[in-house]
Amino acid sequence: MESLIGLWNDSGLAQFTGPGQISMILIGLGLLYLAINKNFEPLLLVPIGFGGILANIPGAGLAYSAVENALLSGGPEVLSAMAKALNLAAYETYADIKAALPNASAEQLFAANQVAANAGYDSGMLYKFYSVAIGSTIAPLVIFMGVGAMTDFGPLLANPKTMFLGAAAQFGIFATVLGAVGLSAMGIMDFTIADAAAIGIIGGADGPTAIYVSSLLAPELLGAIAVAAYSYMALVPMIQPPIMKALTTEEERKITMTQLRPVSKREKIAFPVIVLIAVALFLPSAAPLLGMFCFGNLMKECGVVDRLSDTAQNALINVTTIFLGLSVGSKLAADKFLDPKTLGILALGIVAFGIGTAMGVVMAKIMNKFSEQKINPLIGSAGVSAVPMAARVSNKVGLEANPQNFLLMHAMGPNVAGVIGSAVAAGVMISMVQSMGG
Amino acid sequence: MQQDIMSQGVDLMLFGMGTVFVFLTVLVIATTIMSSFVQRFLPEAPAPEPTAAPAAAAPTGVTDPKLLAIIKAAVDQHRAKHK
Repeated sequence: MESLIGLWNDSGLAQFTGPGQISMILIGLGLLYLAINKNFEPLLLVPIGFGGILANIPGAGLAYSAVENALLSGGPEVLSAMAKALNLAAYETYADIKAALPNASAEQLFAANQVAANAGYDSGMLYKFYSVAIGSTIAPLVIFMGVGAMTDFGPLLANPKTMFLGAAAQFGIFATVLGAVGLSAMGIMDFTIADAAAIGIIGGADGPTAIYVSSLLAPELLGAIAVAAYSYMALVPMIQPPIMKALTTEEERKITMTQLRPVSKREKIAFPVIVLIAVALFLPSAAPLLGMFCFGNLMKECGVVDRLSDTAQNALINVTTIFLGLSVGSKLAADKFLDPKTLGILALGIVAFGIGTAMGVVMAKIMNKFSEQKINPLIGSAGVSAVPMAARVSNKVGLEANPQNFLLMHAMGPNVAGVIGSAVAAGVMISMVQSMGG
Repeated sequence: MQQDIMSQGVDLMLFGMGTVFVFLTVLVIATTIMSSFVQRFLPEAPAPEPTAAPAAAAPTGVTDPKLLAIIKAAVDQHRAKHK
């Protein structure tokens, strides 16, 4: 009989700690539904949704560190030993000890880990994935290398001016930062400047960049930021066209652009090297992201390491995506995700997309005022990265206005410039926020 | 503190947006210079390659003497039959 009770106490049903875990499992199932039935960024949302369900299995503690697991399921003696390790009074409860963890010094954390190890507790599987893949920032950087190896800079090289469109669209990032600090200044939400920067990067419409920035600046918000970034990227065909149409006239949408000149192989090889030199000279803080990006692109264009380029574009990026998705899922544990901040992040994220799109279009119109060679303002919206979805949207809206007008290749220029722009914005924000001490 | 976070946000926006623009402007200039340099001094000769390739390819279609002999014999046979 006693063993039966023990078995029941170990089962998931007995260990549900309230509605949080159930609702997070439902959210995980919802993400799986969106990915499988609606084809929303399935490559990311299937692992994220599944990881989210795994992270909320009651009693398994897959998303928790060894210390957290010891606190959750350890007896009173483990709790008091842990409190002693953290220099707290021995009678502290679970919640108090947990609240003290983020403020503990390195020695105290080490002691706490010793206590957990002595009591036989280990970090959960997803926690380990997270620390290897995202905690170390390796996974987003490897994915960025793969993206570099898949990117063709030809359209950008043929018309370098379109880089300004990619720059303008990054305004969405910074406007959202301002929105987030505005919300905290008004007392509606409680975001630090680091949180605000990490939320703003959703407007970069670039998954790996968003994960990279939030893992450095606001790891506790990473789940919500990644889910918002990937969901809105899937929604680009719905978010962008109304904004693009509202800001342009019928005539502007009909502007046809001249055929792009062919770009030689040597220019394509030289371009990643030029970007790398510019990063080294002016913006070392963006070196991790842009360095990996340029490396991937150079492997593709130089043509002598096809095997490496092929691995970076296919096998390696796929392996990394699996672990990245599961690790993001680990941040969907109920106590971390079910927070009013998540709603704020989702709301600010869509604002970021909207402003980025609008600024790209407006920038194209400004450039038309000063330049002889007219640009169709619709390609401006492609400046918000989201390669190649945003460029396809530009092409589609352009075809609606003029069925002979193929903007796809023209829109690829600002599109890949947007990737560089978001990486630059990410680098600036990381270095500035870290120096602000926020 | 509240004013503080607001001014930090504004700082972040001004410097951030400024850096993005300056950096991409530098890239536009550097790319334009690089492109014109490559086009002027290091032109690839892409034109001769494609024209040379088909020209060389056409005669290489059937060069195997054995095969030629067989085809010739078949054509002769066909013509003999239909005379």
